[in-house]
Amino acid sequence: MLQKKVCILGAFGVGKTSLVRRFVESIFSDEYLTTVGVKIEKKTLTVGSEQVSLILWDVAGEDDTTAIRMSYLRGAAGYLLIVDGTRAETLDVASSIRERVTAEVGPVPFLLLLNKADLTDEWELPEALDPGLEEAALSIVRTSAKTGHGVEEAFQDLADRLFR
Amino acid sequence: MPDLPRPVSDWLVGLVESQRSIAHLLVDDAATLLDSGGDLAAYGLAGTRIGDPACEQLPFLEGLIPIPESPFLLRSLGMPSGRVADVHLIAEATATRIILLDVTTEHDQAQRVQQKAYDMTLLSQREARLIARLEAAHAELTAAHGELARSREELLVTHDRLQQELRDAERYVRAIIPSPIEEPFRVEWLYVPCTELGGDSLGYHWLDPDHFAVYLLDVCGHGVGAALLSVAVVNALRSGALPGTDFHAPADVLGSLNRAFQMDDHDDMYFTIWYGVLHWPTGVLRHASAGHPPPVLVRGPRGHVGEPVRLNLAGPAVGIMPTSRYTAEEVCLDTPARLYVFSDGVYEITEPTGDVMDYGDFQDLLAGPTGDGRGELDEYLRLAREKRGASVLEDDFSILRLEL
Repeated sequence: MLQKKVCILGAFGVGKTSLVRRFVESIFSDEYLTTVGVKIEKKTLTVGSEQVSLILWDVAGEDDTTAIRMSYLRGAAGYLLIVDGTRAETLDVASSIRERVTAEVGPVPFLLLLNKADLTDEWELPEALDPGLEEAALSIVRTSAKTGHGVEEAFQDLADRLFR
Repeated sequence: MPDLPRPVSDWLVGLVESQRSIAHLLVDDAATLLDSGGDLAAYGLAGTRIGDPACEQLPFLEGLIPIPESPFLLRSLGMPSGRVADVHLIAEATATRIILLDVTTEHDQAQRVQQKAYDMTLLSQREARLIARLEAAHAELTAAHGELARSREELLVTHDRLQQELRDAERYVRAIIPSPIEEPFRVEWLYVPCTELGGDSLGYHWLDPDHFAVYLLDVCGHGVGAALLSVAVVNALRSGALPGTDFHAPADVLGSLNRAFQMDDHDDMYFTIWYGVLHWPTGVLRHASAGHPPPVLVRGPRGHVGEPVRLNLAGPAVGIMPTSRYTAEEVCLDTPARLYVFSDGVYEITEPTGDVMDYGDFQDLLAGPTGDGRGELDEYLRLAREKRGASVLEDDFSILRLEL
């Protein structure tokens, strides 16, 4: 079975682990548990008529003192770049990650996910995001790990693009 | 590598082995698992099959073989068993050696510290956002408060101007009422609107040396509109501005007023009026009423209970029906006598208990022994206010006394 490595990247607390758990196990917890290092999950899905697998690298979030280890990106076919829609500062972190990935690993294809879409009252992102980020992303999807909105579609979209 | 004595190096290997659960694997450049050993079970990898594709058994190797540089380290990798390992990848001739060292304890410690740090950071970010929102809301409220203060100032200026204009208008309404007269008979009046501008007005003047006209009217409602209409009616009567009207003939006057002041042309306002003409040489009073409270004629001297006569004459209010007709009657004012003309606001006084003084009560009051001059009318106003229980009455208070 074909399988490809996909990294989940973004600032800390944007919901990377929650998105993976929602996609792989269809569960969600409101309790925030930080990720240290990297956790790997495998999910099989269908692209066209073929069964394929995504090897999901849930990488620890980036903060002011700890940058994402680019070594984790080695061999990645693509990545999902996650932004917390209720924290505008996580958009800047996403832009910075994208620039470093491009510089150190190359132009790896990615989808930009604007997560926590269920928290509409607290939404802080502007209508116009970082132009460079918007242009580089394969697509931009609003997601909610809590409700599941857009999650399956985002992972499937990336798989379709990587395996076709 | 330092030149360590064998016992030291053996002791170090033993130490690492006991603390790190060492496991190792060998994968060729085609990503086939060639060899494995050590404590694989600690990582959930006991079932690895030599000779099978390594990436299917060890998903973390996907895309990594051959490794880009050697040695290559993946820190804190979550393993299927739940343990966390540092994964060291070392290039050999045509294969890659993979060494797993357990760092679960360090990982858990780091996670606890990081959890607290992130929780604090998220809290402080949330607090900062809340403060920013509060500051924005405060700024909006401050701006709104300033705007309200400005609006209030403008409203006060407008209010003061309107009050001044109302006072001017009230002065004018009062100014068109003639002054009391003493000769050849006495006429006194009291006019107290319930608001700045009332709907009542009154007047009297000589039509010729023998005939004296008296009138009092009450426009429905109060305020500017009612006051304007009352002034217009009084001015029409004062100036004789009702074409083709015999002002000596009360029924003719009321008919003319009814034609001139139909409510369809005057903002749905109508009014009641009593109009009388006294022939001074004979003392005969000819009078007519358009829905107005009947005046009271009290015969007899002051200081004694008099004989009250109600000048009861029916007639529709002015302005309601264009075809209204009015009739007049005559009565002789024998000396001594007092004629009282008034609006309903003088006697229809609702007391705090809900009781209402009626016309008959007021008529009895008028017939009673009275003092002299203006003080009598002031006393009626005082009584009305006393019954009402307030200085401001429900309706305009207008009363005229003609005394022979």
